[in-house]
Amino acid sequence: MMRQKIDTCDVAVIGAGPAGLAAALGARRAGAGKVLLVERERTLGGILNQCVHDGFGLFLYKETISGPEYAERLAEDVAREPIKIETGAMVLDLSPARVLKINSRAGYRLVEARAVVLAMGCRERTREMIEIPGTRPAGVFTAGSAQNLVNLQNLRIGNQAVILGSGDIGLIMARRLVFEGVAVKGVFEILPWVSGLERNVRQCLMDFAIPLELGATVVEIRGRDRVESVVVAKVDDTLAPVAGTERVVPCDTLLLSVGLIPENELAKRAGIELSPLTGGAVVDESLMTSAAGVFSCGNVLHIHDVADWASFEGFAAGASAARFAAGEMPARETVRVSPGPHVKYALPQLLTRGTAGVEWSFRVTCPLRNVQVVVKGKATGKVYARKKFPRVLPSELQKIKVRPAVEEDLEVSCHE
Amino acid sequence: MSENAPVDRLTCVLCPVGCELEVARDAAGGLDVKGNQCEKGIPFAEEEVLHPRRNLATSVPIKGTAARMVSVRLSGTVPREMLFPILAEIAKLRPEAPVRRGQVLIANVLGSGVDVVATRTVL
Repeated sequence: MMRQKIDTCDVAVIGAGPAGLAAALGARRAGAGKVLLVERERTLGGILNQCVHDGFGLFLYKETISGPEYAERLAEDVAREPIKIETGAMVLDLSPARVLKINSRAGYRLVEARAVVLAMGCRERTREMIEIPGTRPAGVFTAGSAQNLVNLQNLRIGNQAVILGSGDIGLIMARRLVFEGVAVKGVFEILPWVSGLERNVRQCLMDFAIPLELGATVVEIRGRDRVESVVVAKVDDTLAPVAGTERVVPCDTLLLSVGLIPENELAKRAGIELSPLTGGAVVDESLMTSAAGVFSCGNVLHIHDVADWASFEGFAAGASAARFAAGEMPARETVRVSPGPHVKYALPQLLTRGTAGVEWSFRVTCPLRNVQVVVKGKATGKVYARKKFPRVLPSELQKIKVRPAVEEDLEVSCHE
Repeated sequence: MSENAPVDRLTCVLCPVGCELEVARDAAGGLDVKGNQCEKGIPFAEEEVLHPRRNLATSVPIKGTAARMVSVRLSGTVPREMLFPILAEIAKLRPEAPVRRGQVLIANVLGSGVDVVATRTVL
């Protein structure tokens, strides 16, 4: 029989991006003794390292800085704590009993953790996932992989680019490509609204006169070895391409910014309940998943538009994990929180019965003006919270706080 | 085209209210700002329409280390029309490791009053 070395720790954090770094700190600050931070890349910071643009840190550091600066400052805070950091290490498996199988430069080993924080982030949707017909030439990139090639590896990815999807990374890459001397022929978004932040539309597209076309998509990729053109068409209300509206846009590069998916393979292996609405775990107000002692935060829980909020979630998840590891979090009865009209999802999805003062994050399904967001009891119809918004956008994560103690299932809805 | 045709529409970003501003040219050639719920919206719109300022971030190759690139940005904003001239200055940079986060790589670039600084420590 193979002998396996088994280590133990109080809190193991998987992933060292904005959420994971904060989770390790949160766990220490809440009193966890042995904290282990595992990162598969060789450097800490995750995707922040390739996000060289500014706009990070406004909430956490009260100033606007770039992604690498944000990562380095957070990593410096981690380095001041006795946190065991393991880079170049991959967690291969997580069991419901919180045993991690880790493969690292030091070899393969098991770690038994009293609590685990999932902070693995997300990955991009690909051409295959949105099923664009056509040939399979070189020159088709996800926006984030293009960002890595340009910003970290100094590679020129093409000369004439088309961007499909109006996610923030796509908008930021449009500007980045212009800076690198690449002609950006246009950004095409299938929905009737932009999915990225308005600031990015203005500073990344309008500043450089890059055309943005809503309600249009790429219906075909052409070219044998390298992309030679894409065919763009308008779409109807059902998002189906309208025959006769096709036009050929010559280009050698297609960037896809068509959505992010929480990277939950480990959660699935541990049998953790996932939400079809967020792609992340179903959690309670302590950010605990359906597996006792396993917590989730950042983009692996739900997609954030601002890194700072992923970090705040990380601090909270780390603190909860420390309390669980110390045996201070007994099992409790929960109520369910579900999305109502115009709300895509509300998080946390579970709430310990009788809890007061919890803040929910939610996203709306479409842009709306002058709305009232209501948190209502499903059994009694009692209104627990209401908040007015001059406008809400699907691209912006919103918050609403519920002050009274809750004893029943809730619904979060949005009304014009 | 009517006399007060909007020249720009923008969202004020000075506070979370996010007023949607409509800017038009008035009869005297000045700007007429509508939609602001407080007085801060007017100078915001005027600057953004007449003299927009921007920061700039990119990365440059670095010598003497395994990492290929060091990321940089400006220490403050510059008039938008200076972006490409400053990019040309940054393109000439070939820093050598070690470079520390916040280290000034070009002081007062093109007399703009702001510096090009490293945003990452590369040892």
